[in-house]
Formats: sequence, C-alpha cells, structure tokens
Amino acid sequence: MADHEASKINHDNHLLLDQPLLRLPYELLRKNFRSAHFTVEKESTTLNKLLKETAKGSLDGKTSPEDVVKNLDTMIAKMRGMKRKLSTYANEETRLYKQLDARVAHLRELSDMHSVEDVKYEAWSRKRLDRLLVDYMLRHGYNTSAQALANEREMHDLVDVETFLTMSKIRESLENGSVTEALAWCNDNKKELRKLQSNLEFLLRCQQYIELLRINTPSKSVEAITHAKKYIAPFQEQYPDEVREMAALLAHRPTDKNLPLKYAAWYSPDRWTKLATSFVEAHNKLLGLPTFPLLHTALSSGLSALKTPACHGTQKTTSSSQPGHSQTSMTSTVCPICSIELNELAKNVPYAHHSKSHLDNDLLLLPNGRVYGQAKLDEYAAKAGLAEGQVKDLVTGEVYSRTALKKVFA
Amino acid sequence: MTAQTTAMEALQKELDRLNRAPGLSATEDRVDNIIEMLTSVKDQIVQSGMDTHVASMSITKIQNPIKSSFEKINDDLKGVTATQRKLGKTLDKHFPLKDLPSTHDAMADQESLINRAISMHLLREGQFSVASTFIEETGDAATLENANAVVEGQDQVSASDNYDDEPMDEDRDDDDDDDDDEDDDDDEYMSPLEGAATGLGFRQLQNLSSLQSHELEAKFSQMYTILQDIKSRNLLSAIEWARSNSGELEARGSNLEFELSRLQYVWLFKGPRVNGLPDNELNGTAGALLYAQQNFWRFGNRYIGEIQQLANAQIYARNLSESPYRHTFSTETAFADVASSFTREFCSLLGLSAESPLYVAVTAGALALPLLMKYQQATRAKGTEWTTTNELAFETPLPERMLYHSIFVCPVSKEQTTEQNPPMMIPCGHVLAKETLQRLLKGTRFKCPYCPAEGLEKDARRIMI
Repeated sequence: MADHEASKINHDNHLLLDQPLLRLPYELLRKNFRSAHFTVEKESTTLNKLLKETAKGSLDGKTSPEDVVKNLDTMIAKMRGMKRKLSTYANEETRLYKQLDARVAHLRELSDMHSVEDVKYEAWSRKRLDRLLVDYMLRHGYNTSAQALANEREMHDLVDVETFLTMSKIRESLENGSVTEALAWCNDNKKELRKLQSNLEFLLRCQQYIELLRINTPSKSVEAITHAKKYIAPFQEQYPDEVREMAALLAHRPTDKNLPLKYAAWYSPDRWTKLATSFVEAHNKLLGLPTFPLLHTALSSGLSALKTPACHGTQKTTSSSQPGHSQTSMTSTVCPICSIELNELAKNVPYAHHSKSHLDNDLLLLPNGRVYGQAKLDEYAAKAGLAEGQVKDLVTGEVYSRTALKKVFA
Repeated sequence: MTAQTTAMEALQKELDRLNRAPGLSATEDRVDNIIEMLTSVKDQIVQSGMDTHVASMSITKIQNPIKSSFEKINDDLKGVTATQRKLGKTLDKHFPLKDLPSTHDAMADQESLINRAISMHLLREGQFSVASTFIEETGDAATLENANAVVEGQDQVSASDNYDDEPMDEDRDDDDDDDDDEDDDDDEYMSPLEGAATGLGFRQLQNLSSLQSHELEAKFSQMYTILQDIKSRNLLSAIEWARSNSGELEARGSNLEFELSRLQYVWLFKGPRVNGLPDNELNGTAGALLYAQQNFWRFGNRYIGEIQQLANAQIYARNLSESPYRHTFSTETAFADVASSFTREFCSLLGLSAESPLYVAVTAGALALPLLMKYQQATRAKGTEWTTTNELAFETPLPERMLYHSIFVCPVSKEQTTEQNPPMMIPCGHVLAKETLQRLLKGTRFKCPYCPAEGLEKDARRIMI
C-alpha cells in the first residue's frame, strides 16, 4: 500500500527511537545534581561541626591559637576540595545543557518537515542513522569506531559516548573478575537502585563471598563469614532462598566431589558474565535506556516493512540483485532487502502485510509468463533500439512481437 | 500547529529558562567567599602573634556568616533543582516515555551480519577510515569470540560427548572455498562480496574479511573520485568507466555511456564562456563536432535519432535558446542526473542498490515502528503474544519509493501471492491466487468471479508479476 498518507511524518510517533536522546541527559543532569547536593550537605555538616568545636575549644581555652590555625587550615583545605568537586559538577552540568540544546535543536528540525519526501528529511534521517550506529557500536564495546564516527560526523552532542565508555569499563571489569568498580557504581546510585528493586549489589556481594570460599583456606573462610555477616545477612528478608544457599556454600566447596548442581552453579565462571549482564541491565534501566540497541529495533521493524515474498524467492524479479546475470537498468533501484548487505539478515523476519496490490498500469503478459507494465516495456524497447512492434523482457532479455502480448487484468 | 510543534516549543522554552537560570557554577563563588572568610581569620590570628583572645573572638565571629553562606548555597541548589525538575515535567508531559518492543529482539543473534551491513554502509558512504577502524575492531572481537567458542566447544566435547561440532565446521569451510573459486571463474564483474554471499558458509559470510573490504573500498573510492569529477563538470573519468563496462551496461539496457557522451558534446558545444575550458579547436561548436566525429560511431544506429538532433543543433548555434533543441541543451540538472544514473549503474554492477540499504531499512523502520508497537500493545492486551510468522499481521504503509517489488494481492482471498501460492491468469485476463482458483473449481471448470467468463483449470497459467 502506498499513498500520500504513508509519506506523511506522524510527528506524535516519529520520535520513538529518539526518546533516550532527551531522557538520558536529563537523567544524568539529575544524577549530577544529586551528587553536588550530597557533597554540599556532607561538607557543610563537617565544616560547621569543626568550626563550632574549634570556637568552643578556643573560648574554653582548651584549644590553643596554634591549633585554631591548624584547624582553620584543615577547613580551608576541605573547602578547596569541595570547590573542586562543585566545579567538576558545574562543568558536567554545562556539558549536559549543551547536549540538551543540541538535541532539542536536532529534534526541532524535524517539526518543520511534513513529508518524508522532503529533501531535508533525508539529511535528518541520515543523521539519525549515524546516531543509531554510534549507539550500536558503543553498546557492543566498539568504542574506537564509535568515537571515530562521532568525530567524522561532528555529532558529539548527539551521542552518549561518555556514558557508554563508563559503562563498558565497569562491564569489562566484571568480565575480568573484579567487583570493585561495579560496587562503587552501586554505591553512587544506591537510592535509585533500591527504587528499581535491583538485586545487583546483592549479587556482587555474593560473588565476593564466593571468591573467598573458592580460595578454601581457613583464614579466608573466616573472612568469608565476616563478609557474609556484614554484607549478605542484611538481604535475608529480600532474598531468603539465596541467602540460605550462601550459608550452605560454606559446606560445599568447589573442589568437592559430587557437588550438587545448584551449588556448582554459584562457583561457575559463567557467573561473571551473568553479573556483567545484570549490571548492564541495571545501568540501562536506571538511565532510561532501552534494553536493546536502537538499531536492532529499527532494523527488525524496517526489514519486515520492506520485505516481500519475492525477496528470498527463487524467481528473478526486476528488483532482485543478481550480478552476473542479465538485469536491466529499467528497475529504478535494487531492493534493499535483496541487496547483499541485508539479504541474509532479513531471512528470519516476517514479510510485510499488504492489503492492496501495488502494480504498474496497463499490465501485459509476455509469452514466457512474465508480466510488465506497458510503459516500462515501451521505454525499454526504445532504449534497446528495438524495431517497431517489438518488446524485450526486462529480466530475461527475450524479444517478442507486440502481437504476442496479452492484456492482464489484475 | 501540531502537537509535536507545541511540545518542541514548550521544551525549548524550558531549556532557555534552564540556560538563563544560575546553575551549579553559582555555588562556586559562595565557596570562595567561605574560603576568604576562613583565610582572613587565619591571617588575623597569625598577625596577632597567636593571641588567644583574637583567636577565640575571630573564630566565633565567623560562625554565623559561614552558616548563612551554606544556607545560601542550599538556596542556590533549590533553585537549580526546581528549574531542572520543570524540564523533567515538560518531558513527562510532552514526551511521555513509551516502551519500545522489548520482549523479543529478532536481531539479538545477528551481530556479525549487522556488523557486515554496517561495514558496507560505511564503505559505500565513503567513510573509509571509520569503516576500516570498525572492521578491525569487530574483526578482533570476532576472533576473540571464535577463540572462546573453540574453548567452550572443547569443554562441551568432554562434558557431553558432543563430537559433532568441530568436523562440521571443517566441512563448512571447505564448501566456502569451492564456491568462491567457481564464482571467481564464472563472472568477471562479480562483486567482491558476492562470493561470500552465495557461498552460504558461516564464517565467510558473517565477517567482511579485510581483503574483501579493501576491494570494496577501492571500488567505492573510484566511485567517489568519478562523482567528484562529475560534480566539477568533468565527465571524462565517468565516460572512461562507462566505456570499459559497456558490455555489461548494454546488457542492462543502460544508456549511461551515451548519456555521458551526449552531455560531453553539449558541454563542449556551449563553449569556453560557459564551460570554462580552454578556448581552442577542441572546444565550442567545432570542438563538439570533433568530439562527435571521434566518439559517436561507437553507438552505431542505436541512438541515431538523438545523434541527428545533436548534429542539427550546429545550425542553430547562434540562437540555441530559441531553437527546437533548447531542451536537449539545457544543462541545469543534467550533471546531477548523470551523477545519479552513474551511481545507480555503478552500484548495480556490484550487485548493490544505489541507496544504502541500511539507511532505507532504518528509515522504513522508524516509519513502521509506531504501528508495530500499536499492534504489540493490542496483542498483549488480548493476552496473545507476538510470534514470528511468515507475514506481519498488520499493515505498515511505506511511501511509494520504498516499494521495490510489485505486489499482487488476490482480490478474492486478499492474500499476497507467494511462490507457493502464485498468481494465475485465467483466460479472460483476470488474475487470482492459485489457492483461490482451486477453491473456485467445480470439477475442472470454474467461473471467473469478475466477469461472466468460464474457464478450464488447465487454461489458467502461472504468471510472474
């Protein structure tokens, strides 16, 4: 089905793929603010307390002027530290404001366009593709490529390189068997993770415990028990089964013969990959990022919308790509699904549903069973320099007399 | 004004407000102020020669000012958070978060195929350096994965007696090699990727080898050089390319070589004042004629009419704009036109579409996505799940130019025809899907649902639309 309606840009729904574009900087802005606020609260409490004590001590004669000066130096150093932190947050804020400006400007360009046939739409849509490509590359850890593409297209403000670089560092550290970075991240986002009811921190704490048990020496076992008391026991109510299993692990060591499967699973090196996945999930959820790369979403919908039964058929049609075989230039372009780039990828998606035929006008049947629109046959005959009264098959190149053609009513 | 424009305006307004309002940087000055106070007290004490009275007096005195400085910082922060929250509210109101399809990712296991599509996209867009970075980076990742797969594979063999994995892989590799050799022999102008695409072997298909990508890069860089020439009104490299591929172009029924030569004639005809080429015997009407004499014989009789026109125009050279040939000689869009024909033919000879398939697919994806989501919501509400059948269950209308194949929908069954259920033409000229026809049969006869004609099953013939 094709009509003008289909070319219209449906503004209310055209930005589905672009939701994270505004959401992410906003979420980061809030996170940045919370960090700044936390710093101010913490430092002001410490400073006021120290100031009060020093003043009191000095008045009481308990604190010597030398100590007052020493305390003042401490306070000054603290304030300098706080200022440094605040200026980092202020810079981040500036960066995010700039990003938001650029992103809103980019989205606003679209609101002036009403049809996908608008020449400006193509430029916009290309930019969107570049954004999706950078997003895809970052999510798969192809960071150098992502940065190269962002540089080349000068679109740093439209992509989230920093966010994903931070994420991929933490993910990699988990894949390499270290929980430190991920725990620090959990700590930074404690409140939000609690709101999401994420079990990430619990899983990380369990892993630390498991690693201590894996070493399997008496001193490490003691350490494991201390760790469990401090970090695992508090989760008793939330995850009773897992906590019980953790306790049971004390009696089930990785070297045990006939280790029951459910305990063996905890000691499996796969755990690290799973932790990395859990982290990525929590991270994306926290920042309102979609679960899959946006490119996947766009592609699976786009491949289906474009796909026809002919795209993976055995018959040659005018829009198939078959280099090495005669094929005419009468077909405007090779179909993107038939093109080598996407053909294999589109194999497993359903083809588009059509309720109306989409055919050329004045169809004519050639004796070989192929049907073409009259205009195309005429044009091709002219281009091929055929004699009057002859036509040439656009795909096979067979030449027929016009008298051999039959009208088709489809 | 559409809802979207309103939303965008509202958002812009919030953003402007955000930019005008003091941000976190305002707090820095206040901290400076606190530091100043602390420093000056310290100086006073030191200057007093560590006087106890001065120390206790001065330090007590700054307690309140510092407290109030912190209060001001807190006020600043309240202001910042209020403006930021307003932005959040605007986002929530005008851009409510809509969940994207998340239950099923059809692309999840297709990383290497997607990588290949991206590599080719970057190459065809002329992003050669990004492409090579990407191919290298994904290649490294793939090698790593393969290494892991081998290790895991071995684990599996020992764990579950699965001996089948490795020998099968070897078979596959062998197949690939054979196919490649054949392909190379068969076709001179086969695209460098075609070998990989036809030999359905896994490894080769999924990763664009650096050799293939270099070949492709060389091809596309040739394409860009020629396009650049056309843009600067120099057709010679394009003509040379068309001439060296004239066999294939002719087989495709392409007029590109003639179109280019004709434009070259027209361009020379216009003379040095228009084309900026040297004013000599090779330029102007005489130069054009000379060019025609030297080149047009190649086309034989194929374009005789058009060549005659070009020659006749010589007579009207003085007032071409009023001659019958003015249209042939207008070059306003001619260069852009031949550039796009050239791109199309160049890509076609490589077996590629002229527009980047990835671009078309993602654009189509953005257009179809709202419907996909609407459908998913509906099925979820009904408790049925989205399953991957052969055909989408709902229509995803695309603009005309994104329809590449003819589509025939049987007027009776309303089903799209496929290879299993092809279109059949009955003697009266009407077309039905094969299954429809079979349902209409009474013995070996049927009556056309559209006209009074009757027919025999054996007279219905399968057609290819």
